[in-house]
Amino acid sequence: MNQPATAPLLGGFGPKKAKPRRRIDLLPFILILPTILVLLAIQVYPALYTIVLSVQEREQTGWEFVGLQNFEILFDSAALGESAGHTVVYLMGYASLTLMLAFFIALLLNRKSHLSGVYITLLFIPWILADIIAGVVFRLLVLPDYGLFSGFLQNPALFPPRGLSVLTADAAKPWIGNFPFPPSPAMVYLILAASWRALPFITLLLLAALQTISNEVIESSRIDGANTWQTIRHITIPLILPTMVVALFNLTLGGINGVGMVFSLTGGGPGTSTHVLSYFLYSIGWVSLDFGRAAALAVILAVINLTLIAGTLRITRVQHRSA
Amino acid sequence: MAQTVSPQRTFPVSRKAREGFLTNLALIVITMMALLPILTTVLISFKREEDVTRKPPIIFPCDTPTAKIDLTACRWSIEGYERVALLMPEANALLGFALKGRMLNTYLPNTVLYAISTALIVMVLASMSGYAFSRYRFRGHDALMIVIIAITGVPLLTNLLALYQMGASIRHAAEGIYNDRVFIIFVYCGFYLPMSVWIAKGFFDSIPRELEEAALIDGCSPVGSLVRIVAPLITPGLTAIFLLAFVGVWNEFIAGYLLITKNDLKPAMFGMYDFLGQNIINAQVVAAACIIIALPMVLIFLIARQNFFRAMVEGAIKG
Repeated sequence: MNQPATAPLLGGFGPKKAKPRRRIDLLPFILILPTILVLLAIQVYPALYTIVLSVQEREQTGWEFVGLQNFEILFDSAALGESAGHTVVYLMGYASLTLMLAFFIALLLNRKSHLSGVYITLLFIPWILADIIAGVVFRLLVLPDYGLFSGFLQNPALFPPRGLSVLTADAAKPWIGNFPFPPSPAMVYLILAASWRALPFITLLLLAALQTISNEVIESSRIDGANTWQTIRHITIPLILPTMVVALFNLTLGGINGVGMVFSLTGGGPGTSTHVLSYFLYSIGWVSLDFGRAAALAVILAVINLTLIAGTLRITRVQHRSA
Repeated sequence: MAQTVSPQRTFPVSRKAREGFLTNLALIVITMMALLPILTTVLISFKREEDVTRKPPIIFPCDTPTAKIDLTACRWSIEGYERVALLMPEANALLGFALKGRMLNTYLPNTVLYAISTALIVMVLASMSGYAFSRYRFRGHDALMIVIIAITGVPLLTNLLALYQMGASIRHAAEGIYNDRVFIIFVYCGFYLPMSVWIAKGFFDSIPRELEEAALIDGCSPVGSLVRIVAPLITPGLTAIFLLAFVGVWNEFIAGYLLITKNDLKPAMFGMYDFLGQNIINAQVVAAACIIIALPMVLIFLIARQNFFRAMVEGAIKG
């Protein structure tokens, strides 16, 4: 990926006269310029503007500087802690469920079968669906009374005492303080739906990593008497661990920022039981119209995101060097 | 399927054949379960209102008072699709009919416009800068690449507040010039560019530069070698970038919902969300709308899946 910094412009031309080199020098900048301008306008400027917004408050006369007051109000509010708790529960369920299932499916797909291509194609269809659509699809299944699963779930004999109506049932009493665990049925269902949609991509990531493991390594461990489980535990997992961590970061990022499914599946409810941070940001920004406080939350979320991206980059870099 | 054991075989099945059979069996079950929600949605979309509001719910609308399932008595219908389309006779319309459903005459065309424009712009800009990053070394090369990847870490969600305010102030300052459509296309471009630049760079890196050098030695200009030599080789990569941006915009909800002020200009995903509120018990209408919006994406994916897989591995592992 990186050539030595001294490599001439098109490599391999050896020392060149100064004149043509000056002429070519401008071309890359001209090629990059439009991209840079768009990124400055749509990404960099708004990011900085969000930081500015986060230390301001809208008064009748216009925006006014209030220092860190927005952050203080945010941290003092019970709603932030509550949605942070929901997010933690959501992320833990979503990431661990997706990762485990994806690893299992990737292991199966890695045993070369004639039909692998067919399975991968069919398994990938959920990934192509929008999160809004996926949310609606799962919502239709458990629609109170009429959903196809509702006949089974709302049966009092199977789910005493009154049957389970996924989208309206309340959460059980929290075990520890206010931490929303055990989660409400709606949250569990949201996790299932989100995992369903993320599964194909993570499976593909892990499968790509599995295919880089040479057969000889697996064979030699077999000859040494390791059974399947031992091979997976001591050979496969350590070898694809970097990719697993990348997948985990990827899931966490998607989980923190994904909001469409909350909109179409639960709408944040019942009550506030699926109010995750991303939905909370929407509701203080566009429902309460408190842009300063929403910007403060956006800054916090952006910092979490950047940290995760930095971690992913570090791991992929390490992977590249060792490869 | 090749590994299934035929009943005539009497000798013991080898360990390998049995494992292959079990693997296939497991994968078939998993695939069916993964597709189950989609298949039920297709099923619901072809039911009638009286069949989606049954208590307890029925899976197939095929029961009669005497039999539980009678395949000759199935009540399939396209009522859901009709209610999404609202095809009405209209004298001045092209074929004598007009689509009155807002999903099909407003929201979906908007989505098509946004997705195609964004994907084209992203493809052109990303290939330009991908080429520059792949072929040239210049001051700030590595720093810029890092900045671009870091930008992918700023999610659309957190920038929305500032973009919303930006849109409002531009609209205020330039009443006549401001256009929701242009604004949202720009926003989408900004969000699909960083990843696309990395993918484009990866694809350009995989084309041997000796080819270009040969063209240069033969007297081709750098731009000429880009057009004549590199462009044909990079087409699969560009297709992948186009498709990823296209599908991304098609499926995007929150920015289209919040940044576009006029309802007439909002995209299909907003239409879907709006629809959900209006059709609380008309599951067949909601399901039909889902199928109409999602089917083009599923078809594109089935046709161009190799492009998707390559770009995803390129973007996710190297990016």
